[in-house]
Amino acid sequence: MQELAYFDRYAPIGGVWDEMYGADSNIRDHYRKVIEYISRESADDLNRKEELAKRLFMSQGITFTVYNSGEGIEKIFPFDIIPRIITAAEWAFVEKGIKQRLTALNLFLKDIYHNQFIIKDGIVPIDIIYSCPHFLREMYQLQVPYDIYVHISGIDLIRDHDGTFYVLEDNLRTPSGVSYMLENREITKRLFPDLLPQCGVRSVTEYPSILYKNLMALSPRQIAHPTIVLLSPGIYNSAYFEHTTLARLMGVELVEGRDLVVNNHKVYMKTTVGLQQVDVIYRRVDDEYLDPLVFNPSSMLGVAGIMGAYRKGNVAIVNAIGNGVADDKAIYTYVPEMIKYYLNEEPILKNVPTYQLGNHDEREHVFKSLHKMVVKRTNGSGGYGMLMGHAASEEEIDDYKKEIIKEPRSFIAQPTISLSAAPCYMQGELQPRRIDLRPYALYGPDGIQIVPGGLTRVALKEGSLVVNSSQGGGSKDTWVLAP
Amino acid sequence: MLSRVAASLYWLSRYIERSDGMLRMLKINYASSQDALYEFTWEPVIRIFAGNDEEGGTLGNDSRAVLRYMVIGKNNTNSILNIITLARENARSVQEHITKDLWQCLNEYYHTVKDPKLERALQREDPISVLDVLIKQVMLYYGTVEITMERGEGRSFMNIGKYLERAIQSVDILDTKFGSINENPDRLTDTTYWKHLLLSLGGYELYLKTYREGFEAENVLEQVVLNNDFPRSVIYSVNNIQRYFERLKNDTNLEDFREMTFKIGRLQSRIKYSSVKTIHQEGLPEFLTQIRSELYGIANALNEHYFANS
Repeated sequence: MQELAYFDRYAPIGGVWDEMYGADSNIRDHYRKVIEYISRESADDLNRKEELAKRLFMSQGITFTVYNSGEGIEKIFPFDIIPRIITAAEWAFVEKGIKQRLTALNLFLKDIYHNQFIIKDGIVPIDIIYSCPHFLREMYQLQVPYDIYVHISGIDLIRDHDGTFYVLEDNLRTPSGVSYMLENREITKRLFPDLLPQCGVRSVTEYPSILYKNLMALSPRQIAHPTIVLLSPGIYNSAYFEHTTLARLMGVELVEGRDLVVNNHKVYMKTTVGLQQVDVIYRRVDDEYLDPLVFNPSSMLGVAGIMGAYRKGNVAIVNAIGNGVADDKAIYTYVPEMIKYYLNEEPILKNVPTYQLGNHDEREHVFKSLHKMVVKRTNGSGGYGMLMGHAASEEEIDDYKKEIIKEPRSFIAQPTISLSAAPCYMQGELQPRRIDLRPYALYGPDGIQIVPGGLTRVALKEGSLVVNSSQGGGSKDTWVLAP
Repeated sequence: MLSRVAASLYWLSRYIERSDGMLRMLKINYASSQDALYEFTWEPVIRIFAGNDEEGGTLGNDSRAVLRYMVIGKNNTNSILNIITLARENARSVQEHITKDLWQCLNEYYHTVKDPKLERALQREDPISVLDVLIKQVMLYYGTVEITMERGEGRSFMNIGKYLERAIQSVDILDTKFGSINENPDRLTDTTYWKHLLLSLGGYELYLKTYREGFEAENVLEQVVLNNDFPRSVIYSVNNIQRYFERLKNDTNLEDFREMTFKIGRLQSRIKYSSVKTIHQEGLPEFLTQIRSELYGIANALNEHYFANS
């Protein structure tokens, strides 16, 4: 079969779910058209496409800057040209699962900042809540519009060796990467002309308009044109490109902390014609830096007094403050119970089994089999400070153990989940690399909507299981096929 | 519009205009260094665009070294490289206020200047071709602004920045060029000297059409200060500052607006009702110093009343 040359030379990783390569050594149907398409191209053509992708990212300024010896070097996030494809059936399952999980997590946030029934009923232990640094007493009894806390979430999913979806992490604070979902699609349109409609790929372009509609609905003032702003830490933030993209696509003002001022519990922005009241803030600044009067007093990124305006209901903040208590890695363990408790339903998406190292018995168990575990900090992110047991030396394991014993509450352990693989274009051939999936869910007064797509992150290093961009990860365009 | 955004658009525009003036000046100066009919020197160019920088003073008349310093010099705060970086940083922070086309155009300009190939070409190949490539980037920028930018408040601030920068540049160039006559009176009658001045301002052809009697310092002065039709004249720039400022009128900040209008109007009248004769009566250096300080006054007032930097 000449037309599937790239597939014929493909060597899947043993014992790992491959998105393209079926159990019967055949190509999975939903990948066939793409592989046929690229098989008509020579390696030179594909290399040229790769170059084109790089050039497009560069000229559109979709870059981040690495500061090295006083000089800024522009880099692009690595992009693999072969799309990751999700079938309609897989998507229906994922969508249902995320909606269920998000509903429960949102109810949990409402509960934990009001009556705390879940603690009183003994489902979640009180110490795990109060020891969480992201549980903010400032949010207690604070009324948020429509009781929505998690307006935007990016729940990370992975697939085990048999293709089962697991939730790896709930990102409920300020999940990033959605601009890459949008830009990757634009690039793919240029790389593979006509292929998207041939394959029946669902569009992701609705995301900014849904988000805008939701933000509009939150305005405390019932006026025709509420002022909506996107609050960014500024141009040196690594996600700054995303902030400008979203502001542009929604047509909202991009502001920094220094553009805003609070007077009489109302937030205003400084304009060329004086102060203008702000109604809704989509903030990409972390809780800790939001208000120097309430949180970190040395923060230059926030706005003094914003928390007071929020508490008075004069401004809506998206996502709500204090969401970190729900995506803390120690609280993650209890999400299946939350789903049962609040919704009286069985969880659709599975949790990765997780051991609390604060618990003595679980810690002993984990210590005995550390080489089969992944240990993470409960408040860590970006793939930093992790211990990958299967790849660590005895010495590293011993050092890490000492760290754990110092403050066991700050660590959890999970058995190494293998992560599914998808074909990537590497030096003229297709090779399997590990991937995850982050769909973006938008929770508005009309319910939860998930744009069919998401960000597929890929561990570009051979054999690596870490997909974070800070650790040599890249991304792929993510296709959801129409039913 | 956010004050910060207005300030960034204004500065973006000033930097681009500055790069345009510099590139044209460098190109003509390099060309004239090739036919050194009179005693050639890079010194005025360095003085106008790099100020009293120490390194700039040590380069002498080594054309390649000067070009390197002025175009890609990292330590020269006013090198094309550094001002384009600043222009792009300003644009980056207001990306949603400029069109995507314009942002891409700035990016390409920036990457062209950063390209190691440019450095090599500047050292070994024909510098005029290199400068032409960059000048073309500026022209693309202006074309893109013209075709894609919305005719709103943002563009008014961009235009105010552009014409303010241009007026200051023309004043500085006149000051330097006429100033050096005192050191070397022969230049007063040196045709090439005035021709190069006009060429570097893009006013050579207009001059030929307007004045039939050859190159006279008086006429050059008249064109660069007082000719309403010359796009780089001081009066043309000030008229445009006035024109675009007028569009910012808004009921909520009448007081600020009036104060600015007063300053701009005073400067405009000052130039409009001058002639070469009156300028000479009060003394050219005094005249230029006063115009410059009024231009700076307008820039400072903008800062205070519109950019929320008091």
